[in-house]
Amino acid sequence: MKNEELTQLWNLQQPQFDAESLNTLIGKAQKQRSTQLVGIVVMSLTIVILTLYALIFTDFRWNAFSTGLSLMIGSLVFRVVLELMTRYRKEQQLINLSPRDFQSYLYRHYRQRRLIHFAITPLCFGVYSYGFYLLLPYFKAAFSTGFYHYLLLSGWGSILAICILVIYKMRTELRFLKEFDGK
Amino acid sequence: MNAETPFSEIYQAYAPRVYRLCMGYAGGRDELARQWVQETFIKVWKHQQSFKGDAKLATWIYRIAVNVCLADLRKKPKTESLNRSIPDLAEPDREDQHTSQDTRIAKLYACIDQLTQSNKVLIMLELEEVPQQEIAQTTGLKYGAVRTRLSRIRQALLNCMTHEK
Repeated sequence: MKNEELTQLWNLQQPQFDAESLNTLIGKAQKQRSTQLVGIVVMSLTIVILTLYALIFTDFRWNAFSTGLSLMIGSLVFRVVLELMTRYRKEQQLINLSPRDFQSYLYRHYRQRRLIHFAITPLCFGVYSYGFYLLLPYFKAAFSTGFYHYLLLSGWGSILAICILVIYKMRTELRFLKEFDGK
Repeated sequence: MNAETPFSEIYQAYAPRVYRLCMGYAGGRDELARQWVQETFIKVWKHQQSFKGDAKLATWIYRIAVNVCLADLRKKPKTESLNRSIPDLAEPDREDQHTSQDTRIAKLYACIDQLTQSNKVLIMLELEEVPQQEIAQTTGLKYGAVRTRLSRIRQALLNCMTHEK
């Protein structure tokens, strides 16, 4: 085989990208942008409502219920904001860096993610679960036994489900880091 | 073509080139390559306002495309046996030739797959007939280094295409 034949062979591939694929793409991009916007609005509203609740409705009479609720929402907001920040930074680097620099960045990025997965996420989980635990006596007093058991099961169940999801994501990212280490 | 060019024109001009580039990272898997093309152009669409024109538009798009492929956390697949991007030819007497082309392209991807990540991008941009100066800009390597490495990679690729089964 000759040198120029490589290029000829390469150019034999002429994939079609029609107007429909363009419309699908733009639709998807617009949806992504609006989802991001909705996410930011919901997150900001949660923080505002939590702060207002803490300042106005508790009338500075802080109790275990307020503490529990604040711990749950606070840990969740903190973790989500951290996630959004790292994703935003990764996207910016993807756009601006050369492949060589981006690959080095990815390596650093997933090492930082390892720290987040093994230290910050378990801490957030601990705080979130403790917050939920603090709410339980109030739920028991306020609701019927049946509904209390439902809250108990669904509460711990959703914590377990999130935990499994996080472990799955962690495994994928750690595999990626391992592939990097192997090169 | 520059930053002022309508997005549809940019897409029509660059999507096939980005596709071929992504095919190299997707191990010849058409579906995955198309997903990466879509992801690349979603990013181009979202960030087109931030493109300052310091580099060529092509350089910017190629960079995004390669970075999209690199950042995908899924296990990189092994080379697929057939390349489905080539349109079917109706004439029966050309079928053999077509199959042979498919096989050769599949082999080309298998050979590219054996290269390191940085060598992959170099040879694929070269095959896209991107000037070496621009390849250097896209990859962030020095022009001299690109030239030397490309000559070695081409040789390795030719050896692989000719001798390996």
